Amino acid sequence: MRIELKDVSFYYKKPFDIIKDFSYTFESGKLYLVKGKNGSGKTTLSKLICGLLRPQKGSILIDGEDIKKKRTAQIAKDMGYLFQNPDMQLFAMTVWEELSFFYELEKNLTEENKEKIHSVLKKFRLEKLIDSFPLTLSGGERQRLALATIFIRDIRFLILDEPFSSIDQEGREFLTALIKEFIASGGGAIVISHENIFFEETECIMLEKNNEA
Amino acid sequence: MKLDPRTKLIMVMLLTTLGVLAIDLGYLFIVFLISLAFCLILNADLIMAIKRLRHLISVIVFIAIVQSLAVRQGRPLVYIGNFYILTLGGLINGGEFALRMMIIVLASLIVAGSSSSEMADGLIKMKIPYELAFMTIIALRFLPIFREEFSSRLNAIALKGIDLKRQGVIKKIKIYSYLIMPTVSGSILKSKRLSKSIEARGFRAYPQRTMYRELKLSRLDYVIMSLIVVFFISFLVIMYSLGGLL
Ligand SMILES: Nc1ncnc2c1ncn2[C@@H]1O[C@H](COP(=O)(O)OP(=O)(O)OP(=O)(O)O)[C@@H](O)[C@H]1O
Ligand SMILES: [Mg+2]
Repeated sequence: MRIELKDVSFYYKKPFDIIKDFSYTFESGKLYLVKGKNGSGKTTLSKLICGLLRPQKGSILIDGEDIKKKRTAQIAKDMGYLFQNPDMQLFAMTVWEELSFFYELEKNLTEENKEKIHSVLKKFRLEKLIDSFPLTLSGGERQRLALATIFIRDIRFLILDEPFSSIDQEGREFLTALIKEFIASGGGAIVISHENIFFEETECIMLEKNNEA
Repeated sequence: MKLDPRTKLIMVMLLTTLGVLAIDLGYLFIVFLISLAFCLILNADLIMAIKRLRHLISVIVFIAIVQSLAVRQGRPLVYIGNFYILTLGGLINGGEFALRMMIIVLASLIVAGSSSSEMADGLIKMKIPYELAFMTIIALRFLPIFREEFSSRLNAIALKGIDLKRQGVIKKIKIYSYLIMPTVSGSILKSKRLSKSIEARGFRAYPQRTMYRELKLSRLDYVIMSLIVVFFISFLVIMYSLGGLL
């Protein structure tokens, strides 16, 4: 997968461009570390990439195709996005339902898919919490659950918004290993983070604050 | 145009009261136009608001359509033989509902620009009891919070690659009901946090505390306020002496 940003500019309010004439190409098999001060537009940039926000200027191409006319769901089909606040992406009454809902919606909760849910629960160390209410889990557990809902889909690109800000050392190691494994398997990842997580193929992008008058 | 929050609050109170009292479509339309005019005068960003409120607006339109189809009164407009699909009475009913809701939405845009603390200050200056003022602020903020929470969760659904627009009605309802619980509980949690933070800033503890920025009614406030009060009274007098417009 190849995500190309060409001279992208974006503002919430005229004339304060949060992102200004930004060009960059993201490719599979690599880790991109996005850094910058608070308010420099890191979250904004990631939302532009997955189609939640649309640039006023410039274009974004995914595998050569302009995403301008595509709907968010279409753009995000092969992507996984972890919000800065994962509470926003948890809905269900139990951990199990969080992962099974969309299979049930498609009337596709087969034995095979149940197995898949179990293996994802195990991978994200949530087996013991299967009947818990997602919003009462600890911060780290909630993040793992949000990640589980992402990894249960077949994604090719991962976008994580400050995933390290509220987890302990163990969680950090878990997450780093997860990213590493995902990239080794051919996926690409954009990680917004103040921490330096370095693999062989890491590119660092520094966002400047240019919205100040 | 910068108005005092008290002026805005009075505006909202009077306009929504008229929206409720208006006896027919004609009067509702006048109140609607006046609310629209005030929004424009106050530089409310209407296009932005329509974009952000598009879900709410589509729900209002949907209910209005259902209502016009369900009510069977008056002259039939669309019918097959003896089966009335749309009647004049139904159309008027749906239209009244839609206009009433839109008046409330427009009125809420009038106060949307003021901060909670400005509003709190304004209400206290109006000698409104603290508990009541406190509740008003939370209530006024609940709708925007709810909208924020709801649209964030709709975004989260889209990011799962699920195109809500392309789903059938039953699936749509299922997904919406899936969203309602966390949205409501999330909004309540946020409102609680808001009320705590207002209290933490000493809202109730020091009734006489001085505000960082004292509110003062300007000449413009007095002009606008008298205008709206005059409009309010004459509207009611005309409506009750003249009766229905349509
Ligand atoms: N919905 C919005 N409406 C208006 N302005 C916004 C909105 N979201 C963000 N902003 C503004 O855009 C700027 C960039 O925000 P953004 O969230 O992208 O920053 P960030 O780099 O992710 O910051 P942080 O490190 O605090 O997460 C900020 O100044 C912010 O106030
Ligand atoms: Mg951010």
